[in-house]
Amino acid sequence: MQVVIGLGCPYLTDDGVGPRVVRQLLTGDELPGVRLVESHAGGLLLVEELAGADRAVIVDALWDTRRVPGEVLIAGVETVTRNAACGHDCSLAEALAIGRGMGIPLPPDEAIHLVAVVAGDVATFSEQLTPAVQEALTDVCSTVLKLVQERTGYPDGGNHA
Amino acid sequence: MSRRITIDPITRLEGHGKIEIFLDDSGEVTAAYFQVPELRGFESFCIGRPAEEMPNITNRICGVCPEAHHIAAIKAVDAAWGVPCLPAARRIRELIYHAFFVADHTTHFYCLGGPDFIVGPDAPPSERNILGVIRTVGQEVGGQVIACRRRNHELIKELGGRGVHLCGALPGGWAVPITREQQITFRRYAAENVAFARFSLQLFADIVLKEPSYRDLVLSDLYRHETHSMGTVDSGMAVNFYDGRIRVVDTLGNQVTLYEPKDYQEHIAERVEPWSYLKFPYLKKFGWHGFVDGLDSGIYQATPLSRLNVADRMATPLAQAEFERFYDTFGLLGKGPKGRNLPVHHRLATHWARLIELLFAAERMEELLEHPDICDTNVRQAVAPRAGTGVGSVEAPRGTLTHHYETDERGILTRVNLIVGTTNNNAPISLSIMKAAKGLIKNGLCNDGILNRVEMAFRLYDPCCSCATHALGKAPLELLVRRVSDGALLDRISRD
Repeated sequence: MQVVIGLGCPYLTDDGVGPRVVRQLLTGDELPGVRLVESHAGGLLLVEELAGADRAVIVDALWDTRRVPGEVLIAGVETVTRNAACGHDCSLAEALAIGRGMGIPLPPDEAIHLVAVVAGDVATFSEQLTPAVQEALTDVCSTVLKLVQERTGYPDGGNHA
Repeated sequence: MSRRITIDPITRLEGHGKIEIFLDDSGEVTAAYFQVPELRGFESFCIGRPAEEMPNITNRICGVCPEAHHIAAIKAVDAAWGVPCLPAARRIRELIYHAFFVADHTTHFYCLGGPDFIVGPDAPPSERNILGVIRTVGQEVGGQVIACRRRNHELIKELGGRGVHLCGALPGGWAVPITREQQITFRRYAAENVAFARFSLQLFADIVLKEPSYRDLVLSDLYRHETHSMGTVDSGMAVNFYDGRIRVVDTLGNQVTLYEPKDYQEHIAERVEPWSYLKFPYLKKFGWHGFVDGLDSGIYQATPLSRLNVADRMATPLAQAEFERFYDTFGLLGKGPKGRNLPVHHRLATHWARLIELLFAAERMEELLEHPDICDTNVRQAVAPRAGTGVGSVEAPRGTLTHHYETDERGILTRVNLIVGTTNNNAPISLSIMKAAKGLIKNGLCNDGILNRVEMAFRLYDPCCSCATHALGKAPLELLVRRVSDGALLDRISRD
């Protein structure tokens, strides 16, 4: 089973890109063996969402002023261990280590992909994405679908955008 | 000589929360502040929406306390529309809420607060975490932490409709009742929670209280300063997380006020500082006198520690025994006004208070599940929106949480105001950091160990810094040491 997790707050402009991708995918063709979920926090909660999956795609907003809003990047767990951390418990890498140590069935690191969408605004309450991120939405969905449909993923876990 | 301190507003780039410590030219601490980023436009985002949407909007503005916002929001809607919650629905709300407390307090102790004691305050950050805790006390404990979170989240998911963003709250009710099968399962969960809470308290006693260096740390002056205490109490003056009146006691334990949550504006004012987006609430009775603590200051705290300080008792027997042991350890049991306890002001004791609350929450779940009508199916009622004003208040794990809504005759929101747990503690957090920093940083000397001990003064509050915006690439906390004369950055710690 695969899981696609859209991470973010749907009410904070581009922070909502993850949930928006999940909602868009839900309106498309059925994806057998793929669970689509919206979530809001990293760390242990994210590990609980990953439980039982053998492969995962996490979609989240990326705040990086060196990049252009709407840019899409793909990364692996090992390259961005700070991603998906929860300030109230631990990082994703720590949470995965705990989960595995406790015998929770979790995807291996190389089967967890992070799709990051460079955000233009993550501090204003709004259900609208900024135009650049809105424009990228279709591409992001395609990227996620491609990842879901290929079983091998990117072996080096690096950036591919 | 120190110059006037100027702090630039935080930018999104710099992370969720930020501590800034200012040193004078001789390297002594002159000031320390805690800052969180600005989120813009929440009120205008909400105005014009149907009030009943608020439980499902506000439970996504915070990544850590969705249940607290969900429940406070629906209580505010109940109040605005004049719909008393059905008794069976109220029990379900309470059950979910206490399950949330168990999961949340467990996570804080084992992942954030505990590592400083279980692994050690001077251990490298790479070891001072939940993995370090597991290495120190055993894999079995890690399994218990995960299992505790899992069973309580399972309960929330079953009754709340969704595990992550629960959606069960309806005006005056709840979406689904509890079945007999669920009651049996949840009783088991509650019993396991009680056992786990007792285990955690024993662990705290063995590792912290019996270890002289840690006991000294908890009792040291470094982490002690006096502010007033706030918390919700029931009619018997026992701690209550779901409902009750707000009680404030002063630094000596005298009751300052006891009021209905709807009257909060008569008692609480909010100070605005030009350098902070987060307001600084204070008690109107005392007024704002700047960043000072003590009997005459208006600054109060709203934390697990303050909730115990305002209460005469705990409402469940095992938690009551721990409550007495707590005050007895500090020599304050029954030494306060009218035979009550004197308040504990040692901030690190907040970790212990949190575990006592964990036990109370678990016991309260057991009580609720033994109620003869816990499976009553009368949980929904027809509700007509109306023009009104409603305040919904709960004790969130991080402090008293208040939602205040006004609606027009169609039930559409016309005004929204929120005071979240961490906002209450905005000023005391800065005071605690300043006290620790002044005691620890001498002649400009600071290293990771020293700065971690400063951060411990912050961490005990478990502040929630607008967790909803957890976009990748930002660290949840930064600690910066600056020279006050020119703002030059002397040291920096960033914690993921």
